[in-house]
Amino acid sequence: MDINPSTAIFAIINFIVLVVVLKVFLYKPVCNMLDSRKQEVVNNLNSAEEAKLEAQKLRDEYAAQIQNARAEAQEIINQAAKIGEQTKADIVTEAREEAARLTAKAQDEIAREKTEALNEIRNEIADLAVLAASKVVGKTIDVADHQNMVNNFVKEVGEAK
Amino acid sequence: MFLTNVAYASAEHGASAPLFYIGPLEVTSEITTMWGVMLLIAVVCFLGTRNMQRIPSGVQNVLEYGIEMYENFFSDILGRKRARQFMPLLATFFILILCSNYSGMLPMAGTLPGLKPPTSNVSTTAGLAICVFFLVLYYNIKTNGIIGYCKHLVGPMPAIAILMVPLNILEQFTRPLSLALRLYGAIYGEEMVVVSLAALCPLLLPLSMQFLGVLFGAIQAFVFTLLTAIYLEEATAVHH
Repeated sequence: MDINPSTAIFAIINFIVLVVVLKVFLYKPVCNMLDSRKQEVVNNLNSAEEAKLEAQKLRDEYAAQIQNARAEAQEIINQAAKIGEQTKADIVTEAREEAARLTAKAQDEIAREKTEALNEIRNEIADLAVLAASKVVGKTIDVADHQNMVNNFVKEVGEAK
Repeated sequence: MFLTNVAYASAEHGASAPLFYIGPLEVTSEITTMWGVMLLIAVVCFLGTRNMQRIPSGVQNVLEYGIEMYENFFSDILGRKRARQFMPLLATFFILILCSNYSGMLPMAGTLPGLKPPTSNVSTTAGLAICVFFLVLYYNIKTNGIIGYCKHLVGPMPAIAILMVPLNILEQFTRPLSLALRLYGAIYGEEMVVVSLAALCPLLLPLSMQFLGVLFGAIQAFVFTLLTAIYLEEATAVHH
């Protein structure tokens, strides 16, 4: 079990050479690759987290917007309904007023016509009566007296009726 | 039979004869095998990380999985920062020792000149343990300073310093010694058992030990790395 110094020295040299060679061809590239991939994974995870938060924010925003829009629509509908109700009430009121006005006008007209007709009839009857009386009596009665008589008669008739 | 005899003979010696020389240094079969293992590791890593994709597949996936497994395990011992800092050292120890251990599974390993599991030789494991020794020393002094390191050797009670200093210094040396011998013993022993079983019956019988060898190879690589990590953790822990 002698130690051969040459072999030992070669072993040392070989080891040092292999350390250098592997450092260049194995450890450096592999470590760099592992580190860069690790960094990439970290970055990807971070950006995914950010994207998730962003999406969450947008979703909340949209939900709020939809809520607002819905409330606004409801308000518009309510307002329209209110306006419609108001308009309906106005129209009905107006129509009622118009109807009442027309009725009143018609009644006035009727009353006026009636009065006019009555007056005309009254005059007619008086004239006829005067004529008939004068024919019966044979003399002319004083027109004024006559008129008075007739008027009284008509009045009585009206009251009796 | 001839081959197993040769293997037995060379395994008995422990050290193998030099194949050739680079300057004054002998190049043995363990070293050439180690070069082969290193070349294989380097090629696999080069191909796996040559064109890295954001979505990994194939070799890249395996490498990333290994590195992540390393980080998750050693973060418990060293903390995430130091696990990353010592990754080149600890992971290289593990990969190199694991592949070296498994190189003994290759056919003709130990008999073919130039192919012998490097960790079955105490010189190689001693070399690795020396690396650990100096790394721990370096990081200890770097973290605590020379004075801090000396204080650590004296121990918490100056009254018994005369007793503690030699013990602590001894501990500094027994650690790499145990690292080297444990790894060498486990792999060399496993190789020896395989060779002996092959001598008894070359067909199927050594397989039982080779199955265990798969387990031992991984366990020994893991133990070496884990102990190194613990030594480094102790060396770089900030004392309050």
